[in-house]
Amino acid sequence: MRRLLLWTLALCAGGGALAAPLEAVDDRGTTVRLAAPPQRIVSILPSLTETVCELGACARLVGVDRYSNWPAPVRALPLVGGGIDPNVEAIVALKPDLVLAAPSSRVASRLESLGITVAVLEPKNQAGMQRVIGQVARLLDVPPAEADALWRRIDAGVNAAAESVPATARGARVYFEVNNGPYAAGESSFMGETMARLGARNIIPAALGPFPKISPEFVVRADPQVIMVGQRSGQGLEQRPGWAAIRAVREGCVCRFDAEQSDILVRPGPRMAEAARLMADCLARRPAAAAGAAR
Amino acid sequence: MQSRRANAVLAALLGAAVLVLVLGAAVGSTGLHALWGPQADPVAWQIVRDIRLPRAAGAWLAGALLGLAGAVAQGLFRNPLADPYLLGSASGAGLGVALALTLFGASAQSTQWVVRLGLTGAAFLGAVAAVLLTLTLARGVQQTLRLLLAGVIVGVVLGALKDLISIASADILQALQGFMLGTTGLLGWSACALMAGVLAACLLAGWLLAPVLDGLALGEDTAASLGLPLPALRAALVGVLALATGAAVAQTGLIAFVGLAAPHLVRSLVKTPHARLLLLSSLMGGLLLAAADLLARWLIAPQELPVGVLTAVLGGGYLLWLMHRRAVRSVQ
Amino acid sequence: MNDTAACMLRARGLHARLGGAPVLHGIDLALPAGRWTSIVGPNGAGKSTLLRCLAGLLRCTGEVELAGRPLAGWTPRERARRLAWLGQGGAADPAADELTVHDVAMLGRLPHQRWLAAPSAADRAVVEAALRRTQAWDWRERPLGQLSGGERQRVLLARALAVQADVLLMDEPLANLDPPHQSDWLATARELADGGCTVVSVLHELHAALAADELVVMAGGRVMHHGATGDAATHRALEAVFDGRVAVHRVEGQWIALPR
Repeated sequence: MRRLLLWTLALCAGGGALAAPLEAVDDRGTTVRLAAPPQRIVSILPSLTETVCELGACARLVGVDRYSNWPAPVRALPLVGGGIDPNVEAIVALKPDLVLAAPSSRVASRLESLGITVAVLEPKNQAGMQRVIGQVARLLDVPPAEADALWRRIDAGVNAAAESVPATARGARVYFEVNNGPYAAGESSFMGETMARLGARNIIPAALGPFPKISPEFVVRADPQVIMVGQRSGQGLEQRPGWAAIRAVREGCVCRFDAEQSDILVRPGPRMAEAARLMADCLARRPAAAAGAAR
Repeated sequence: MQSRRANAVLAALLGAAVLVLVLGAAVGSTGLHALWGPQADPVAWQIVRDIRLPRAAGAWLAGALLGLAGAVAQGLFRNPLADPYLLGSASGAGLGVALALTLFGASAQSTQWVVRLGLTGAAFLGAVAAVLLTLTLARGVQQTLRLLLAGVIVGVVLGALKDLISIASADILQALQGFMLGTTGLLGWSACALMAGVLAACLLAGWLLAPVLDGLALGEDTAASLGLPLPALRAALVGVLALATGAAVAQTGLIAFVGLAAPHLVRSLVKTPHARLLLLSSLMGGLLLAAADLLARWLIAPQELPVGVLTAVLGGGYLLWLMHRRAVRSVQ
Repeated sequence: MNDTAACMLRARGLHARLGGAPVLHGIDLALPAGRWTSIVGPNGAGKSTLLRCLAGLLRCTGEVELAGRPLAGWTPRERARRLAWLGQGGAADPAADELTVHDVAMLGRLPHQRWLAAPSAADRAVVEAALRRTQAWDWRERPLGQLSGGERQRVLLARALAVQADVLLMDEPLANLDPPHQSDWLATARELADGGCTVVSVLHELHAALAADELVVMAGGRVMHHGATGDAATHRALEAVFDGRVAVHRVEGQWIALPR
């Protein structure tokens, strides 16, 4: 009896090894298996779309969500709804052999019950980005060397941005506002990590979490030298009570990012280096009194 | 007897308002400070003067506006579950802000307009426009049920439009959420002055119109038979409701429960006709929101809790306790 | 009916529609001053609608005259001082639950008070008299929500009495009242009519209706008969309108209607 069991196990293991040449463990802890490299990929998270394209598999994308807007060829692809409200029928109609989704899309189990392979991945910070690049590369059958090379390129880009920050600007106190709650980006957020690599000091300590709803008074007390904010959310920032006294406001070092730039800064994706460059440019402008980015 | 009690409640609410304002000036991003210490330190004093005082006062004023609007709504619709947002003003304000955010990047001219108007202006216009739409849909103020129904419809439709706009761009969604969640964090002295002016006007108008609300409590036919010129006065009441709600929502976003709970809290303490009820409800609403703002800043400083959560906990908790006490008493 | 001068309330060619359906078909009515008139009829006869038209609460085609002047010619305040209205089902309405009994009765003085003026001593005296008349004075500080249906009805009656109007229109005033209080109300109506007030009541309690001076018998939106309560013709009309299911008898000096 036991020998029969052992034989069956060996057969399964061997058979499994033969039947699933591509596999990776996604963020749910599930092992995603693909029999062959996927040729029809649907991605409903913008950072995953960008990752797929950076790994050279852009041509294999057949559908994306409505917020994926980079690189340019992606905008011509059919849209399948948003990340949190994807259109299941549209996804299925595209006959994908792999769907890349975020954990917040509850569509994963629905699609799997319809027989579609889903990998749930979401890069939330730099370490996560590196891991996700590896996982996506494995699923797309891209050689690990290429994935490593991509990561090294990104890393080098961030380092280059860090070096472009002048010595006078290093160690500056920075406040990054995500929206006008006001919600700030803390040290453990993606933006916070980028800031740290550029040598800037985030006025929001790590103990407060990645995106705390912060008291405006706290910002005034912390007196940041640079403020980074989105254009839309940042309306009327200088007129907030008491904020005229903040150094960043007095010296005009409020960097306003338009929608495209905000996308780059906020998404933990392969454009991390560009995000670092945007922030570095902002920090470098500190001595000059020019007020903010171009509208 | 009730009249004496009403005066006692009035005095108590005024005293509590002063207390909450003083505490509000003392609680900062690092918790409670002594107020007398900072006078030596100009920076700290400036923080108290420029940030904490207007914020505490603004929270009180916004709460007072909502409390007044809630009492007017409950009297006008003869329904204890009415709240100030019943005529669609909440959804209108949200839609106004969403439209302003969309127009912001659209062209240089529209951006200029939006900056001049500000998100507060857009929210106010949206709230008022929604109420006008409700009035048009209901073809006047005469039929209460039709007015209510129109208000619900307008609220739902405008809310859906706002959702449509917000999913079009993740950027807009972020900025809109900050508004929708309701915050007292960005109130300055100019906002306080504006709200104080509107509050004074609405309190005066409400006091003048109080007999109508009393008459309406007995039914529309009875009110008409008592010689009250209903159509004109009801329109005026709707105007007061729209103005007070619009002013509060424009400055603080959508804070739920204050308008609904404040009149009930007052009625649990004293039974009084509307002339006094409107004033007391206003004071109670101010106290509720100011206390919620205080706690929102204090409990997890320097982080803040959403103030709407605390208004629900404070107001709702008290009402639940009242209901429980009433149930226990009726069983005995 | 002669004597136009003493006619307090007159209707000519009254037509009314409710929700699109015609309810009153050309009512001509002259109600004399200082008399108590009861309007009776089966369900759906249009009694409440007629009363509301007479009070000016419903828009009807035709003319309604109050004390010789068309209703539209009165300002709302003047009309409110001459004509008091007590509606149906007020005791069941929860909207006034929070007001005290005294406050509710004081609302009846609104037509006499200057806008926003505090109640004068005269107002308070009238309210006290009205509340005592309906035996509601003892609970003047209690909120309406704590009273039973009958007690609330008595408070609402006191409110109507507090107006001190020449014309008192009441729709189903005896709802929820127990027999002692019903007879109290009948006595009050009698006193008012004797004092020169024109009382018009819609009643479905026929024994109470038959205590009035005059009876208006309605059916199907039309006035079938209008005459003194003692007349045999009135009794026959009453029996006819209920399809002969009631019979009017004289018992102990009163007219009563018994179901057959």
